[in-house]
Amino acid sequence: MADPRPARQVVTAAPRRTGAGAAWPGRDDLYRRDEAAGLLLRSLLRAQLGVTMSVLVPAVVVIALYPLAAGAFPVVATWHVGPVPLTLLVLGGGVYPPLVGLGFWYVRRARRVEDRFTELLGES
Amino acid sequence: MIHPIAVGAVVAVAVVTLAAGARGLRVARTPADFLVATRAVPPALNASAISGEYLSAASFLGIAALVMVDGLGALWYAVGYLAGYLVLLTLVAAPLRRFGAYTIPDFAEGRLDSPALRRVATFMVLVICGFYVLPQLTGAGLTMQAVLGTPGWVGVTALGSVVTLAIASGGMKSITLAQAVQYWIKLVALLVPAVVLLSLAHRPPVGAIEGRAGPVFARTTTVRFPGPETIVVARPVTVRISGVLLRSGGAPVGDGPRRLTAGAWEVRAGTSVAFPAGPAPEVRGAHAVSGSAWTSPLVLTDGRPIHPLAATYGVIIATFLGALGLPHILVRFYTNVDGRAARRTTAFVLLLLSCFYVLPGIFGWLGRLDAPGLYTSGQTQSVVLALPALQAQGLTGSLLGALTAAGAFAAFLSTTSGLLIAMAGALSHDILHRGPVAFRLSALGLGLAAT
Repeated sequence: MADPRPARQVVTAAPRRTGAGAAWPGRDDLYRRDEAAGLLLRSLLRAQLGVTMSVLVPAVVVIALYPLAAGAFPVVATWHVGPVPLTLLVLGGGVYPPLVGLGFWYVRRARRVEDRFTELLGES
Repeated sequence: MIHPIAVGAVVAVAVVTLAAGARGLRVARTPADFLVATRAVPPALNASAISGEYLSAASFLGIAALVMVDGLGALWYAVGYLAGYLVLLTLVAAPLRRFGAYTIPDFAEGRLDSPALRRVATFMVLVICGFYVLPQLTGAGLTMQAVLGTPGWVGVTALGSVVTLAIASGGMKSITLAQAVQYWIKLVALLVPAVVLLSLAHRPPVGAIEGRAGPVFARTTTVRFPGPETIVVARPVTVRISGVLLRSGGAPVGDGPRRLTAGAWEVRAGTSVAFPAGPAPEVRGAHAVSGSAWTSPLVLTDGRPIHPLAATYGVIIATFLGALGLPHILVRFYTNVDGRAARRTTAFVLLLLSCFYVLPGIFGWLGRLDAPGLYTSGQTQSVVLALPALQAQGLTGSLLGALTAAGAFAAFLSTTSGLLIAMAGALSHDILHRGPVAFRLSALGLGLAAT
């Protein structure tokens, strides 16, 4: 590390899954063909934004609704399920599974978007 | 008074950490080993390590205590701490890793092509982590003092030396396994007591925390006051005293059964008072919230609902975005194999955190129902550590108490080591521009300075 600013490169370690290949194999192609490249990139970015929003918006809705309900109807605060306060069930456990589920769903969707993009590059 | 079982449990956690660190000693040689563990940490292991690092003692001792004092609205902190990873997952996890930097300042300079930004980022990393690491050490000293009976400096020195040794020996390579193990230690150390205490809980009638009632003693309860307090007795009550109480400005009342008239009473440090079943007296200045305010899902400010909806959304927004700003967490993402692995890691982190964050609510709730004496003696902040001894008798209580103490120590260890890694990385890589030797020296220096 004698040179303070070495040339930058993406460092990637094994193991790789067979078939999928690197995340950005068609990078040079993207820079070469201007019109097509812009179109391709924009389609990828739009797809990624769509996936991100389809996860973040439901998450925000799930989280924002309960305080709103409790603010509008204070009686919510006094509800119990058996001896356990409803709020403890919701905030202390119930709200987590949907958030975790959204997380895993995002991982799958994001991977699919990338796979589709690399396929597209391979064909064009 | 030193508690041998708890001391043994804490020592065991320290030994496990050093053993994992020694494993890194043989393999860690290159800067890549020290800074990013050769970028070959599998997602499940990395997720355990991130969770271990993220779940600081404050985040579960603190949330449980907040729940006990301010009510269930305090659980929004746990929800937000978790949901922050959803934001991290969708917005930064994969791009951050794909960029291929070694440290956050590295990323800042490379992404925006500005050496000045690297210096700013380095400064920010050192400031954020510095302010983060000091309360960890102080907290460790206080907690170990309370739980083990050792003097304050013992806890601080033990924590500082274990962490510094583990990091200086193998950097990221050695600390990854240690932090991953510490997540599982923490989960077991709190899950087991929570399950046992739930089964032991003296179940009060349904709806015991409804209405305007404050905390209530379900049966005759002896409250020990470690420090002097002023308690406010609402209705005259006959108590058994061991120690000294005095009416503000009046004559002291000594040992034996005494009748306390309504009003304020000063309690001397070290006094024990046995209260009969009934409403628990309040501590002056620390108003215990009433039943319906306690079960409200809105955040209270200083125990009062001041714009509760706005306060709640404030906490949600802050904690949502907060995870993105923790340098010691972000730096762990560089240890992933690639961008996809970084995303899978984050999803696993969500899963692990969601399992853990069930616990603070349970401890806070049990504290409210079964340990109202903690309100009276002003010791609500120690609810997680104090509950086992209050609720379970004899050996069971000691064993459970030792478990929670070990969990707290594991939390201090994992968070402190993550912070020290981030700081040593920034110092050696971004300021000194040197390799492993500088990293080791930085870790030693920072560890000593902080301790």
